[in-house]
Amino acid sequence: MTDTVLSVTNLSKFFGALKASDNVNIDLHAGEIHALIGPNGAGKSTLIKQIAGGMRPDKGEVILNGQDISALDTAARARLGLARSFQVSSVAAEFTVLQNVVLAVQGHQNLGMWRAALRKTAFSDQALGFIARAGLAGREAIRASDLSHGERRRLELAMALALRPKVFLLDEPMAGVGLEGSADMTALLDDLRHEAPILLVEHDMDAVFSLADRISVLVYGRIIATGAVDDIRNDLEVQRAYLGDDA
Amino acid sequence: MQRETWINLAILLGLILVPLWAVVMDEPFTITLTTKVVILALAGVGLNIALGYGGLVSFGHAAFFGVGGYAMGVLASHAQSYTPMQIGALEVEGTKSMLIIWAVAIVFSGITALFIGALSLRTSGVYFIMITLAFGQMLYYFAISWPAYGGEDGLSIYVRNGFPGLNTLDPIQFYCICFVLLCAALLVSARLSSSSFGLALHGARQNAERLEAVGVRPFKLRLTAFVISGMITGLAGALFADLNRFVSPTMFSWHTSGEIMIFVILGGVGRLFGPVVGAALFILLEHWLGGISDFWQFYLGLILLAVVLFARGGVIGTLAGREVAHD
Repeated sequence: MTDTVLSVTNLSKFFGALKASDNVNIDLHAGEIHALIGPNGAGKSTLIKQIAGGMRPDKGEVILNGQDISALDTAARARLGLARSFQVSSVAAEFTVLQNVVLAVQGHQNLGMWRAALRKTAFSDQALGFIARAGLAGREAIRASDLSHGERRRLELAMALALRPKVFLLDEPMAGVGLEGSADMTALLDDLRHEAPILLVEHDMDAVFSLADRISVLVYGRIIATGAVDDIRNDLEVQRAYLGDDA
Repeated sequence: MQRETWINLAILLGLILVPLWAVVMDEPFTITLTTKVVILALAGVGLNIALGYGGLVSFGHAAFFGVGGYAMGVLASHAQSYTPMQIGALEVEGTKSMLIIWAVAIVFSGITALFIGALSLRTSGVYFIMITLAFGQMLYYFAISWPAYGGEDGLSIYVRNGFPGLNTLDPIQFYCICFVLLCAALLVSARLSSSSFGLALHGARQNAERLEAVGVRPFKLRLTAFVISGMITGLAGALFADLNRFVSPTMFSWHTSGEIMIFVILGGVGRLFGPVVGAALFILLEHWLGGISDFWQFYLGLILLAVVLFARGGVIGTLAGREVAHD
């Protein structure tokens, strides 16, 4: 049996009559990239938000390595290794790349009030390692607000790495990075899966098909299919839902 | 060294040279004026930790300034009348010792900040501003209706409190005490800002959602900053009361909160020496413009408007440029 690292069971979230998540079941195995695709408004980001702890589901459970984390808040889940990137990249804009990553490195430690954070070599060295791993070596001293869009995406991944992740929740990491950036990012994600399994929300289908081990398709808050890449590609229901009736 | 560090050193030098010059020229009023600047700067250094580092727009910092002031007033008034305080069955003597008064001021303003912060930090934006304002005004009206300690008229203390080995009635010696305390507060502020705690606090100001996503809860962080901030402002309140040898409910009023905020904005929000420059400018303008026109506050308003519109980083920001990411 494969090791299940993350499992989401019977998760539901309703906004009035709108079913944002409708009895969603999804799991993530060690070492895999599980892509979550679906048309705009299908509820992908809402689902990620509920898994990360930013939004409470109406019912259902989120289990991380056998532990029910449904009642924990975002910070507690992050400390357990649930590392996320946001749909619109979210970093501390006035901070440099290094400061951002040190912020993540020190996140789950006791926050001292006297010694300068960046002078703690343990913090800085670790942070520099994550920055290099995310492909931002040499950009440590650049302010986050001065980074290109693609670089900011990488910075988010460096911060996610700094959490010693058990699971990556990545919400559209390819969005807006351009063609060349997308190829680089694909290679980076392929590397990151060795660190921790990835639940990947992505619109870039080339990336999804080349990276994913499994794909789940979310439509109107409901998972209509889960399976290997080829199965999903040939699934008629998926084609109808995703590409329209003329598919 | 960065340009801002040079500017900061120049300001410190100014705070040493001006009173020295005043001593040589025998100008005690100038010393008193500089003392006022230093004390108000201290209050601003306190607010700057909440407002500048944490992004917490507290419109109620007069609460802590007033608590510090009344800590001095209450203790010293009992000491000068030789009547102990009656707290339940307990009899507590007053004191004229600055060291004890400072400790009491810091502890009580810290407790007040903990209480106000624990409630108000559950809100944000304009609600936070209004709640902190409301708490400040609550204490203001409480002080007005507190006849035991002068009510609306306030409380006069005839002799300045004592400090071991110094004659506090000598303006320059009292100035030195205040200056050393300001330097200590600036050191605390600087260390705090660059520490792990400070990094997280600055991070919470910029992006609270991101901070949570790396495992830090902004609430506890902000509350800690708010309490430290309140304690420093409370200490300033005790010194201010000692400078004037007088406490009144005005120390609690929203005008005072506004003035402390003006020091920070004028000098540069989040800049280490911002409140020092702001307080100095404010007192100078009050003094000079006040001599020219009764409506000096109108002109102060114009200047503040210009700073907010055209010099977003305040005076320090304009002189030193964009804040360099510090280590």
